[in-house]
Amino acid sequence: MILQLKNIFKWVQQGGQRVFLLKDINLEVAEGEFISIMGPSGSGKSTLLNVIGMLDDFNEGEYNFLNESVHTLKEKHRANLYKQYIGFVFQAYHLIDELTVYENLEMPLLYKKHSGSERKAMVADMLDRFNIVGKKDLFPAQLSGGQQQLVGVARALIAKPKLILADEPTGNLNSKQGQEIMALFKELNKEGVTIIQVTHSEKNAEYGKRIIHLLDGRQLKHAG
Amino acid sequence: MLKNYFKIAWRNLLKNKGYTVINISGLAVGVCCFLLITLYVKSEFSYDRFHSKRDRIYRVWQHENYGPKEDFVNTITPVSMVKVLKNSVPEISEGTRVYRFNSLVKRNNNEFNEAVRAVDPSFFQIFDFELLEGNPSAPLVGANSIVLSASAAKKYFGLENPIGQTLELKFDEKLKFLEVTGIMADPPQESSIQFDLLVSLENEADFFGERARRSWFNVVVESYLMLMPDQSVGQLEAKFPEVIKQYLGDNFEEDTFFLHLQPLTEIHLDTSLPAGLEPISNPMYSYVLASIGFLILLLACINFITLAVGRSFSRAVEVGVRKALGAFRKQLIYQFWGEALFITFLSVVFGIFLAYLFLGTFNDLTGKLLRLDFDAGFWAVTFGLIIFIALIAGVYPSVILSKFNPIEVLVRNKIKGSSMGLLGKGLVVAQFVASLVMIVSTLIIGMQIDFLVGKDLGYQKDAIVVVPTNMSGDEADTFAALYVAELQKQPQVIDACASIFSFVENAWFGVGFTDSKDVYREFVFNSVDARFLKTHNIQLVAGRDFQQGNISDAENGVLVNQTFVKRFALENPIGTKIDKFGVTILGVVKDFNFQSLNHRIEPLLLGINPAPIFSNAENVESQYISQPRVSVRLEATRMTSNIAKLKDTWEKLNPSQVFEYTFLDESLASQYKNEQRSRTIVKIASLLSVFIACMGLFGLATLTVARRKAEIGIRKVMGASIWDIVTMVSNDFLKLVLVATLVAFPIAWWAMHQWLQDFAYHIGISWWIFALAGIMALCIALITVSYQAIKAAIANPVKSLRTE
Repeated sequence: MILQLKNIFKWVQQGGQRVFLLKDINLEVAEGEFISIMGPSGSGKSTLLNVIGMLDDFNEGEYNFLNESVHTLKEKHRANLYKQYIGFVFQAYHLIDELTVYENLEMPLLYKKHSGSERKAMVADMLDRFNIVGKKDLFPAQLSGGQQQLVGVARALIAKPKLILADEPTGNLNSKQGQEIMALFKELNKEGVTIIQVTHSEKNAEYGKRIIHLLDGRQLKHAG
Repeated sequence: MLKNYFKIAWRNLLKNKGYTVINISGLAVGVCCFLLITLYVKSEFSYDRFHSKRDRIYRVWQHENYGPKEDFVNTITPVSMVKVLKNSVPEISEGTRVYRFNSLVKRNNNEFNEAVRAVDPSFFQIFDFELLEGNPSAPLVGANSIVLSASAAKKYFGLENPIGQTLELKFDEKLKFLEVTGIMADPPQESSIQFDLLVSLENEADFFGERARRSWFNVVVESYLMLMPDQSVGQLEAKFPEVIKQYLGDNFEEDTFFLHLQPLTEIHLDTSLPAGLEPISNPMYSYVLASIGFLILLLACINFITLAVGRSFSRAVEVGVRKALGAFRKQLIYQFWGEALFITFLSVVFGIFLAYLFLGTFNDLTGKLLRLDFDAGFWAVTFGLIIFIALIAGVYPSVILSKFNPIEVLVRNKIKGSSMGLLGKGLVVAQFVASLVMIVSTLIIGMQIDFLVGKDLGYQKDAIVVVPTNMSGDEADTFAALYVAELQKQPQVIDACASIFSFVENAWFGVGFTDSKDVYREFVFNSVDARFLKTHNIQLVAGRDFQQGNISDAENGVLVNQTFVKRFALENPIGTKIDKFGVTILGVVKDFNFQSLNHRIEPLLLGINPAPIFSNAENVESQYISQPRVSVRLEATRMTSNIAKLKDTWEKLNPSQVFEYTFLDESLASQYKNEQRSRTIVKIASLLSVFIACMGLFGLATLTVARRKAEIGIRKVMGASIWDIVTMVSNDFLKLVLVATLVAFPIAWWAMHQWLQDFAYHIGISWWIFALAGIMALCIALITVSYQAIKAAIANPVKSLRTE
């Protein structure tokens, strides 16, 4: 098992009242799973993903990640944990405009103390695998949305994470580009990468092996 | 609409209190500096302009050239020159001499030592000094009248009416009773002629000896001429040689003696000629100060720009909404420019307040008596300043702010701040160049002053008190000797001596003579007594000191310094007789610095009897009044009571005269008043410019961090630590500071090298000063930037990456 959420609550104080963003979430994710989180806007999908990705705190509950209890860890350890095991893919790609494709891919490695030659090899490997060798010197603005997201996925994968978290990865793409990205996810999953994605679209959710429905921060129990 | 704009502007100012404070205080400091410096420069350039006939008034200066080393330029002229010129040149309508002499002035029991001016009656026709009481055409009635300035009248007569009363003047052992016949307003500060008491030169013999009155080689008075209307100075100067030739007769040598005219209004700032009776000033000071004032104002404007642009993000949505609702870009530009105008207005008001507050300090600093008059000129400057700042600082940000595209901002939620790019970076580099140059200058000037004050001068300066006798002639010598003898008996006095000049006077007699080979030579002379060396702990290297009571020593024995021996190539100095003066060298003293350290040590001759030197020299110059001065070395403990004993002794011997004294070490330190003043000015300027530059840097850091917020978020999610982010953001700025150091150091080195050349003794410029300044600038920049950098680094990336 890669991670386990037990009775997770998250709220904000608004005008003296607690507004719950997440309410009693329980979730177990085994290695090699492909999970889709669905729900209407404001149901807490992204919040849940951010909690899983350790980018956001929660107020109550337990979170175990690879047998480490995240809720008791200090900020620094938590950062080390997600740096090592989690890759992120964003709806708006979030590539750095001033860096080329090559440099964007290299960036996560810079923060993980890989040697120069090691980085070179890893980036070359990624470029090769995603078929974007020819685009390595282009800037994000010179790529289509689909291509940018391709780079985004490659960047998430480059440090060989155990878990990929994708927040509406196809939200800014047309349906053809979206399908290509989803096909890529499916393939990656077959190769053993665990994936959790947030999505609006039933069709994309079907790529997952399991779908979790959220409404007003609560997990709807019927699906599984 | 206007009300809406005003509301928004006001609420924005309140909402961003930090920015408002930085903006307004930065500009206000700039405005304050600019106003004060404007006052100073205006004062410097308005000297002597209050005289209605200023265009026709000139001061005579003379140039004598008898060979390469005998070139004399003087603005002090012979006694008879005005009369001679006026009688022989019809284009001259009037002329007056101004003579300064020291005199004891007494009324009832009030006695003061005063510098009195003696002038010709035509003085009042030529100049426009304001007469408060007396006969307007001739305030001085005959040789026995005196005219007082308002403050002198108050000093001697209080509330009484001085007109018709009598003052007693005592100078050159003469006693004169003068009747007050006029009161004048105090001469304006911006006047090259200053006076408190004016007497008439009608009876020349009262003031000048027979020889001085006739000789054209004895310079004594300032000569002012008023020309007939519309005369050409060039043509007039061309007529002078003929007049000189006629007057000098046999003494005339072709091409040796020239007279020139200097326009009255140029006197104060013309440093190519020596000062006359009043000090002149170097216009360089005005230029440097004006540049500093303008620079600081400009730095503050630059900040306004960087800060406004840095903050533009916070207004993006407002701009988007206004545009979407139908505002034209022009209207938005007006709105934002109006806001800038509003801030400028507040800053200028605050700046005027600051200027008012710091005027006293500024006056101390510049040694002036400036006033802040709220007259038409002042309001014109203020109004100009508001427009200038609002234009320089307001236009660019309002253009940038009004640029936001409503679709981008409102729909795509994409706020692309304009990066300041090269312009912004250039501005920050310029600010740091200015700051670094000033930091380096502050350090070097400070070290040089410490060096000057701390240098071993070759004599003891601590615990020495100098008491001037304020008397002249035999009476003074007798009194000084008596006073010294009395003091020697007292236990708290280690030693005491009398000399014409003490070490407080940093220029002694300059003596010139022609030697047996017909070469003109110069040395410095002081008349001392037998205890002079002992009192000041001056070392002898050969021969012996004066012997107390040895008559031939007192008559024609002299001591010389090592430089004298070298310069005059004396092989066996001891016992050598200097034929020209009929004196014999008794001993050689080790070189000591009797002048300020701007000067090298010159040949020095010390004698008890000045007569053989003065009667055989061709030229004797002195900047200070000759009078016996008593130097006393005291026990360093209990200084106050020791001084009180000096005073008691003085009052026992000379009850009618006020006891004055100076501490030698304090007086020596004040020799470097100009340097101290430069140090303070540069220190304040560097503090201000560092302060302002930091605000600019802060603005740019804010801007950069805001622009890179998303990028920083991504990097954090990709695993960058806080430290990674802080270094990344700071590095960009540190690079700017490094570039600034590269530009600033050669400038600073050159400027300080020039400045140090004014000193015969100066420190070297060592590399560590630059290292220190560089490190200081880097640290200051780092601290300024790191606030924003750390804030960005610890922000939760989820917030900056949210897309919904």
